[in-house]
Amino acid sequence: MSELSSTFDFKKPFLFGGVDYSVPVYILIGLLISIIVWFSIGFRYVFPEAISGQFDFQLIINNAETWLQIHAKVYTRAASNFVGYYLEQLEMFLWFKPWPVVTLALVLPALHYGGLRLALFTLFGVLFWGMMDMWDPAMSTLALMGVSVLFSCFFGIILGILCSQNDALEASVRPVLDTMQTMPSFVYLLPAIVFFGIGGPPAAMAIIIYAMPPVVRLTNLGIRQVPETTIEVAESFGSSRLQTLFKVQIPQALPSIMLGINQTIMMALGLAVLAVFIGAGGLGEEVYKALKRLKVGWSVEGGLCIVFMAIIFDRLSLAMSHPKESDMLKDNTEMKFRLLPQRLARNKIAIAFEKLIDIIWYSVAVLGYYFVEGLAILSERLVKIFNKNLALSIGILVRSFRFLLSSLFVIILVLIWDSWIMEIGYFPKDWQFTIRKPIDNAIDSLIVNPYFYGFTKGLKEFIFFYILNPLEIFLIGLPWLFVLGAFFVISFFSAGMIFAMIAVCLLFFTGLSGVWELTMQTLAAIVASVVVCVLIGLPLGILAAYNKTVDNIVRPILDTMQTMPAFVYLIPVLYFFGGNRVTAVIATVIYALPPMVRMTNLGLRELPKQINEVSDSFGSTEIQSLIKVKLPMASPSIMLGVNQAVIMALAMQVITPLIAGEGLGKEVFRAMETADTGRGLIAGIGIVLLAILLDRLTQAWTVNQRKALGL
Amino acid sequence: MNLKNKLTTSLFATLLAIGFAGSASAGGMLRAPVPDWTGGAVTCEVIHYVLENEMGYKVKRITMPSGPGVAEGERAGDIDFHCESWPSYSTTNDIYIKEWGGDGSIVKLGDAGPIGTSSYWIPSYLIEKNGGPIKNEPKLTDLNDHVDLFKGMDTGAKGRLLGCPTPAWECRDQDRLDMNGINFKAIELGSETAHWAEAQAAYKRKEPFVLYAWTPHWIFAVLDLVSVELPAFGSVEWPASGWDVDVTYNAGRPGMLTEHPEASQMIMNASITNVQQAGMIKAIDIDGRDIEEVVAEWMEANRDVWSSWVPD
Repeated sequence: MSELSSTFDFKKPFLFGGVDYSVPVYILIGLLISIIVWFSIGFRYVFPEAISGQFDFQLIINNAETWLQIHAKVYTRAASNFVGYYLEQLEMFLWFKPWPVVTLALVLPALHYGGLRLALFTLFGVLFWGMMDMWDPAMSTLALMGVSVLFSCFFGIILGILCSQNDALEASVRPVLDTMQTMPSFVYLLPAIVFFGIGGPPAAMAIIIYAMPPVVRLTNLGIRQVPETTIEVAESFGSSRLQTLFKVQIPQALPSIMLGINQTIMMALGLAVLAVFIGAGGLGEEVYKALKRLKVGWSVEGGLCIVFMAIIFDRLSLAMSHPKESDMLKDNTEMKFRLLPQRLARNKIAIAFEKLIDIIWYSVAVLGYYFVEGLAILSERLVKIFNKNLALSIGILVRSFRFLLSSLFVIILVLIWDSWIMEIGYFPKDWQFTIRKPIDNAIDSLIVNPYFYGFTKGLKEFIFFYILNPLEIFLIGLPWLFVLGAFFVISFFSAGMIFAMIAVCLLFFTGLSGVWELTMQTLAAIVASVVVCVLIGLPLGILAAYNKTVDNIVRPILDTMQTMPAFVYLIPVLYFFGGNRVTAVIATVIYALPPMVRMTNLGLRELPKQINEVSDSFGSTEIQSLIKVKLPMASPSIMLGVNQAVIMALAMQVITPLIAGEGLGKEVFRAMETADTGRGLIAGIGIVLLAILLDRLTQAWTVNQRKALGL
Repeated sequence: MNLKNKLTTSLFATLLAIGFAGSASAGGMLRAPVPDWTGGAVTCEVIHYVLENEMGYKVKRITMPSGPGVAEGERAGDIDFHCESWPSYSTTNDIYIKEWGGDGSIVKLGDAGPIGTSSYWIPSYLIEKNGGPIKNEPKLTDLNDHVDLFKGMDTGAKGRLLGCPTPAWECRDQDRLDMNGINFKAIELGSETAHWAEAQAAYKRKEPFVLYAWTPHWIFAVLDLVSVELPAFGSVEWPASGWDVDVTYNAGRPGMLTEHPEASQMIMNASITNVQQAGMIKAIDIDGRDIEEVVAEWMEANRDVWSSWVPD
């Protein structure tokens, strides 16, 4: 608050009433200059052909691909056969084992790590696959996920550990990871066919590459974040570097590594759906078939199966990364509820109900305890004949795996039942039902509903005439040298000289490869989508932060929006908005909105309580304190939301060409349709460059904001 | 705790081992993608039926988008054959198939039978017979009288034509419009799905639209469309004219001819007509029946059509 007293600070010329307005002011000045330039120097300044014509990147890539097809195929095929073997084994296992085995294999860990609520949700999700008649596709996706996540994590963790030990390696791996994560998969899915084949194996290879970055990043980060003092203590006890690494650093980094695995799983699932493009079956196939025949209800069924799978994986892996909650609350004044919401803790009926659950819970636990105890004693007795010491440690070992062993016992019981007593067979047909018809009917009636159509039409025209179209004309019309200069200035002030140079080089490359105009078109689509995201997401996030009910309603919707494959809502969006560039923007907004709402909500909720009291004591109204104090305080979090929205909007650019999106994404599709890898790669690189540029800029902004607020 | 790790691993190994009880052996298996449109799927299923029921093959049906991915798969040897390619819409036949000047890394396996035609179409509720404003048998030039009717948000003062969804098909819609002096703008939606979705929604709202479409196609079983007459192919310079008919063909990897000569010969002989195909499309898309069931039923009833395809 010391700045308030000084009348004018040359370093911060736009400081009014304690709030730093320099960023908006700079943006305004920048915009003003750009508009003047736009009006004075021409409308369509194409990147000069004289420069871009000299550089035939496309041809170089295609020649390289042909060479690789001849010389590298043997090795890539060997790798894919290796992965394919495990994939086939796991798929066969999941397909031919009775369905209760798979159900138990997912529900039991959920019960162990996440408690009764997660277990029940998992049970519902797994049964839902069967009830929708999508058990087999779900098993295929599960197998594909299982194998690729396993390999991804195996190599990812190794790479992460190596990176944590060597700064030079880390620095060189980082841009590779950025590229792996943002390069549109359609660029390499088709060439992957020649190198890795058709179906599951190439899909697994693509997923392994695409999903690896988070686990590498978080393993590296987790190990590096282990406090110096801890390491020093270990070293003072005389442990070697390797010992310190494996006994101290990695165990301490486990939560971070688990978070990385969690994100890897989520990314893998995202690509597992797209893998239908190279003939990998599974739930993605169901959604794709439905999409091709415009069966919205069918695709929603498939989409929901994927949503449930995603939520189960997400919650389960998160639960595994957190330490297990104790069964009882510490102070023992209230009963810890297993199923019902905790706020009913004073309700008599609820308590009685929970008591009943408790009794069942403990009787099952006791059964498991005696089973494992018996097993332990038995194995101790048996081994004792040979070796007394070994017997003791085996006893301890068996007891420490109580949950795993009793779960295995149950699963083996089911298997024995299936093989010798009574065949369980396929998921019971009587349990199946369908929600296709009601969904189709609802969509049909919305299509012809004049009010709804009036609304969508108005929204479409608003976005087109006031946001997207002006933006596109403006960005494409700006002289390319000016855009380079503008990006240099922005990058220089937000992220420093080195990044500014890199940014200019990246942009120059897009011009050089002849995709300047497409890049600007994509930029316009992204900016338009993010603007709409902020217009909707900010108020919604504020509302959710102030009102618990809104929060509770919004949360599951956001979860669904984020995990529902975009293919599912492409058709409804098209039905309501027609095919044009706005439709692409709207689909992008659906995908990119969740982080915006979440981070706004989180940023406001996490503010210290005293802020309210202070602003109240100054007599400001709620609106005043929101605008003047809370929103500026929460701005780092909100900016992080914008950052994520930008990245997700970019990822969506390769899906929107399916519904009339323009720009680099469409170029990727065009290249895919003519099997022109060079062309696709150039457009893909353009997208990667935009992603790196926009990501660093928004991140730098967040960091500066945090510094300014002294956080 | 080293022992603990070892035991964990062996536990998982045994768990997996319980499940691995032999896998299916593949003898005489052919891998073929299922076309992602109903007509093509019917043509293929007919061929698959003969292969499986008369020639002792097993066909592994792969779901993937029809297009260059299939070609790449055939070149790499992972796909044995595919059926009902449309010359106008296969974007890679001039690179890979000899008949179109390609390098021969994919071979043509005879004609598939169905003959495709492409044109522009309008919904039937727009023509005079049904109380609409447009002449009963509209020509391309008639569209100029109704520019206002077909105006769209993204076409300004011009009429809006839903052109070929994919640029790689090289329909050259805008050139056709310009060469015929039609004051319309061709819009490209990027995917076939988007194309039909927009048409279907507009049809349900009874809105005016002109779109590019081709027959045989399931959309004609759902929407009542009237074709707009284009200058006949060859009568004027391409692309001012309409399209040539598409003689659809089957194709496969070169190894098919040497490794499975009988199957290749059968695929070359196989051919069904548009009318035969249309009957099955209707049963699948309108009556909502299962494709394998419909095809099997038809095959049993029409043994004389296909019994001669199988080489002796």
